[in-house]
Amino acid sequence: MMRLFLLAAALLALILPAQAERLVSQISNESVEITSSFDGERMTFFGSIAPDAGATEKFVTGPFQVVITIIGPTQVRVAREKTHNFGVWLNTDQVQFQDFPSYFHVLSSARLTDISDITTLTTNAILPESHTLASNTADWWKTAVFGRELVRLMTEEGLFGVQENGVNFLSDNFYSARLTLPSNAPPGAYLAQTYVFKNGEVIARKSEGFSVRKIGFERFLALSAVQQPLLYGLVCVILALFTGWLGGVVFRR
Amino acid sequence: MQIYLPIAELSVNLFFLVGIGGAVGFLSGLFGVGGGFLLTPLLIFSGVPSSVAVASVTGQVVAASTSGALSHYRRGGVDLHLAMYLVLSGILGAVAGVAVFAMLRDAGQLDLVISVGFLVLLGSVGVLMLIESTRSMLKTRKGVVVRERLPNQHNWIHGLPMRVRFKKSRLYISVLPVLGIGLFIGFVGSLLGIGGGFIMVPALVYLLRVPGSMVIGTSLAQVVAMMAATTMLHAVQSQSVDILLAFCLMLGGTVGAQFGASAGKYLRGEQLRGLLALLVLAVAIRFGLSLIITPSDVFSMAVQGIRQ
Repeated sequence: MMRLFLLAAALLALILPAQAERLVSQISNESVEITSSFDGERMTFFGSIAPDAGATEKFVTGPFQVVITIIGPTQVRVAREKTHNFGVWLNTDQVQFQDFPSYFHVLSSARLTDISDITTLTTNAILPESHTLASNTADWWKTAVFGRELVRLMTEEGLFGVQENGVNFLSDNFYSARLTLPSNAPPGAYLAQTYVFKNGEVIARKSEGFSVRKIGFERFLALSAVQQPLLYGLVCVILALFTGWLGGVVFRR
Repeated sequence: MQIYLPIAELSVNLFFLVGIGGAVGFLSGLFGVGGGFLLTPLLIFSGVPSSVAVASVTGQVVAASTSGALSHYRRGGVDLHLAMYLVLSGILGAVAGVAVFAMLRDAGQLDLVISVGFLVLLGSVGVLMLIESTRSMLKTRKGVVVRERLPNQHNWIHGLPMRVRFKKSRLYISVLPVLGIGLFIGFVGSLLGIGGGFIMVPALVYLLRVPGSMVIGTSLAQVVAMMAATTMLHAVQSQSVDILLAFCLMLGGTVGAQFGASAGKYLRGEQLRGLLALLVLAVAIRFGLSLIITPSDVFSMAVQGIRQ
C-alpha cells in the first residue's frame, strides 16, 4: 500500500513540472541523539515556497497551506478489546496492524478539512487513520473500529497527534513549524514529508529524513543486549550479586 | 532528574526509580521476602513495558536476596544440598515459564494470567498467613506457650519413593516433593516475575518440615540462584533485561533492605507475618478488582515486534 503511494507520488512528481512552485525546506536536526539524560527533543521545520527554476514568474501567489507529516519507524501493533464474560473482563478480540508507524504527527497551517478533501488527505497518508488501512487479516469493519481505537490510544501516549496550528507562516511564502519529539519516541529512521497545498491541491512536496538514535553508553548497552545476550545477562547477574554483597558489607548486616 | 532506559526505550525520573526500589527494599528487608510481587506491578503501572519490567525485576531480586543469603550462609543456615535440588528443578520450571510467558503475550492473555495468578497465589497464601499469625498472636496474649512443630514429624509426603538424606536439615525424605516444589516455583516465578520466597518458606516449613534455622537461608539461596538463572534466560530469550533499570532498583533496594531489616527487630515474628499477610492480600485484592471492575478503557494496544 505504502509502496503504491510512493509510486503514485513519483508519477505525480513527473506530471508536476508544469507547476510553477517549488519547495525549499530544512529541518533543524539531521539526527536526534539519545543520551542518558534524553527527555525529548525540540525540532524546527522551516522552508519557503519559491518560483520553480524554469518558471517565468518572479513571485509566487498564494494563499498556500502547508502540511508536515512526521513518521517514525514501523512496527507490528495489535489492538485488543475486552468484553465482560461471566463476571470477568477478558481480552476477547484483537486486530493486528502490520507496518504501523510507531510515531506519527501532523503539523498543519489550518484545519485539515479546510485545506483539502478527505480523499486527498487519505491517499497522501496525512490523516492518522490512513495508516490503519494497510492490509491485515481482519474484515474491513473490524479494521475500521480497531484502527480508530488504536489511533486514539497512540494519541493518548503522545505518539500520534495532529496539530492544526502547528505551522506558522512568517510571510506569504515562508513558514516554520515546531515539534517536540517526546522521550518515548522510538529510535530509528524518521521521515518528514512536507506538502504544499493551493486550492485543495498538492502543488509541491518534499521528503526529508532524520534519525533518532542512541549514542554513547546507551547505544553500547542496547547493542550488547542484542549482540551478546549471554554476556549481557552474565554481567547483569554479576552486577546484582556484587551490589547485594556490597550492601551487606557496607551496612554490616 | 530524568534517566533514559536503553532497553525500555523511555526516560524515567531517577529518584522515582531509586525511591520505589528503596520502599520495596524496606518492605523486603522487613519481611524477608524478595519484593518482586510489589515491584513488578509498580513498574508496569508507571509505564515500563511489562516484559521489560518482569525481566529487570528478576535482576533486582538477585541483588536484594544476596546479602541476606550470604549472612545466613556464614551462620551455617543454608542447606546447599537441598537448595541444589530446588534450583535444578526450578530452572526446568523457569524454562517452561519463560516459554509460556512468550506464548501468552502473543495471544494477548498475559495480563489475564498475571492477574489470576497473583489473585489465586497471593490470595490463598495471604489468607493462610493471616489465620496462622492471628492465632499465634491470640495465644501469646492468653499466655499460652506456643509449641513449635517438631521438624522430624513425618507426613505422607515424606513416605514417597526415592529417598535422599539431607544432612544439614536432618531430613531423610523423598526427593519427589522437593523437585515438585522447585518446578512449581520456577514456573510461577518466571511467569509472574516474582522470586517466590513467600511460597517457598511455607512450603519448606509445612510440607518438608525443614528446621526453622535452615528455612530462611535455604529459601534465600534458592531465590538467588533461581533468579540469576531466570535473568540469564530473559536476557538470552527475550532480550528485555534493562541493566540500567535493574541497577537503579538495586541501589534503592539494597539500602532500603538494610533499614527494613533493622526495623524488623522491633516487631515480633507473628506481627511481621500478620503485616506481610495484609500486604499480600492487598495486592491480591487489587488484582482481583482489575478483573471484575469495568475497565476505564476496554481497548488496549501492544507492540508485537518490528516486522514479521
